[in-house]
Amino acid sequence: MRLYLEKQKRFLRKILLGMGLFLTGFIALSFLYFISNRWIPLSWTANLIFQTFLMTFLCLAAYKPLDLGITKLFRHYLFKKKSYGQIMLIDLAEELAVILDLKEWANLVVNTFGEVFHLRTVALLVPGRDQGGFEVASAYGWSVSDVKKSKLSQNSILLELMRRRGSHVLVRDGEIQKVSWQEANHIAQEFDFLHATWVIPLTNERDLIGAIAFSASTPDVVYHEGDFQFFREFARAIGKSLHNALRFSELRAAYDELQDVQSHSLQRAKLSAIERLATGLAHEIHNPLTVISGKAQVLLLKKGKDILDEQVEEVLRTIVKQTKRAADITRKLLMFSQSSGAPREQLHLEQVLEDTVSLISYQTSLEEIEISRAIGNRMPAFYGNVHELREVFLNLILNAVQSIGSRGKIHCNLRYRSKEQVFEITIADSGPGISEENIDKLFNPFFTTRPDGVGLGLFVTRQIVHRYGGSIRVESQAGQGSVFIVQFPHQDHDDKAVQGEEFRGKGSLWSPLTATSLKDQKKD
Amino acid sequence: MNKLLVVDDEPEICEFLQAFFEERDFQVEFATSGKDALAKVEKKPPQVMLLDVQMPGMDGMQVLKEVKKKHPKVKVIMVTAIETREKIEEAMRAGADNYITKPLSLEYLEKDVQEKITQLAKA
Repeated sequence: MRLYLEKQKRFLRKILLGMGLFLTGFIALSFLYFISNRWIPLSWTANLIFQTFLMTFLCLAAYKPLDLGITKLFRHYLFKKKSYGQIMLIDLAEELAVILDLKEWANLVVNTFGEVFHLRTVALLVPGRDQGGFEVASAYGWSVSDVKKSKLSQNSILLELMRRRGSHVLVRDGEIQKVSWQEANHIAQEFDFLHATWVIPLTNERDLIGAIAFSASTPDVVYHEGDFQFFREFARAIGKSLHNALRFSELRAAYDELQDVQSHSLQRAKLSAIERLATGLAHEIHNPLTVISGKAQVLLLKKGKDILDEQVEEVLRTIVKQTKRAADITRKLLMFSQSSGAPREQLHLEQVLEDTVSLISYQTSLEEIEISRAIGNRMPAFYGNVHELREVFLNLILNAVQSIGSRGKIHCNLRYRSKEQVFEITIADSGPGISEENIDKLFNPFFTTRPDGVGLGLFVTRQIVHRYGGSIRVESQAGQGSVFIVQFPHQDHDDKAVQGEEFRGKGSLWSPLTATSLKDQKKD
Repeated sequence: MNKLLVVDDEPEICEFLQAFFEERDFQVEFATSGKDALAKVEKKPPQVMLLDVQMPGMDGMQVLKEVKKKHPKVKVIMVTAIETREKIEEAMRAGADNYITKPLSLEYLEKDVQEKITQLAKA
């Protein structure tokens, strides 16, 4: 292992080589003299030029075998004591045995490996989330973006080779020479993809559970069979602990998922309890309210009545108004509880808007209020819950209706801004507008400017909009009408799923941070 | 005289509606259950029916479907404590003529009932 033969040893080796060559020459010359004296008395063997030529020839021929022999002698007999690198790796293997966190494990392996052997790149591969493939758990000397995208798919030739050969260390050039040029091309690509010249497979009970891929800082570094032997021993030593770390990370992921599901279902249970309560409440409260309000109205609208005492009439009107207010509160509560935690699906916002407008015309007699709609072209599908979104539209339009009073216009505009990837809904009314001091309080719960209002509509609307990661704002000047602008970010269903995964995988296999910090360290 | 049938499991509600509409020259009958309502419709079909959705036993939706099947001319106004879109749609599909929520606005209700009577007169 050239890397860790230190200076003194190299000097000693040169001396030994010189001595060996001298000895070879001496023996050869003695032998020549011996045979020329005894059996073949040739005068030309005593010729100095011939002797010099013979010596040079012998030295050249013997150099390489001698050098190799001495190196072997060094490695197997003279300096059998472990080298610095080997000692470090043995320490590392012991240290790794007690680490259960996969990320920590991976970081320690690539760091130590990289620093001990002065490597250019090191990467640790472990089984990925997709079945059969491998991904980078931690890397040394890689760029962050490479770490993110580097994966070996299920049908990678390199993985296939590792599975077939067991614990053999794969060498880029060696593997390429053994196969057809098409396969060689693939293999070379995969090695380059991992920025690697060598790959050490990590196994546990014959199963391939990981690999260390690395390359040296200079191209002339070569490792030999002896080094590979040691790498194999190292791989065997750490296989078990990698196996443990992998199992541990699986367990932890499963635990996180379980907690997620549990808290989600708890939330759902709580919400449906609220919903049931609100539904029951609405039923139980609305009937008595109907009786109270109805009887008061019967008196108020009595035909051919004697004129009611002014005070009595005032009281009756208050009763009617306040019962309506109480009913509105339970209704809002119900809407609020129904809208949360509901499942989301692909839908079209334009359809929800249409439905809401027709729903409003079912219920309210829109006497002289004109509702117009403008819908942009090419509206992508939206991923959401229809009840929640209808609630948003309903509240905004009802708000506009109520602020207008009896006569006016409402304009709803729905479009998709492809550049920003947002859905934008604007609802403009020709009402009296909102004063500056009220604009800030508009979305507060129980804030209302109407004497019979509840003040929950816009609050609930904003809650829902925020649930979708959207925004809501209002532009208004007193006397000029108001415009409510709602924006929802466009999210694909798939995107969402991926984001969720990443969020959940806080303890996931690789961290982009690792690669950066290691790269920085390397520069130092 | 115009005949009105009020159906609600809460007798107090039936009472004040009866008082209110009798004052406006309606002949008002009431029923406090779905079965009772169907029997009264069979005996003497009204022009307009105020029908509560949520009732124990046979609910308003079932009554509506029965009535519309046998007496499609009867105008039915559904009355409910809470509105859900599904219920509204179901009622509209089953042939309900309107859908109003509690607490009732008697002014609006009167206007609506009169409108239904006018529609019947025209037809």
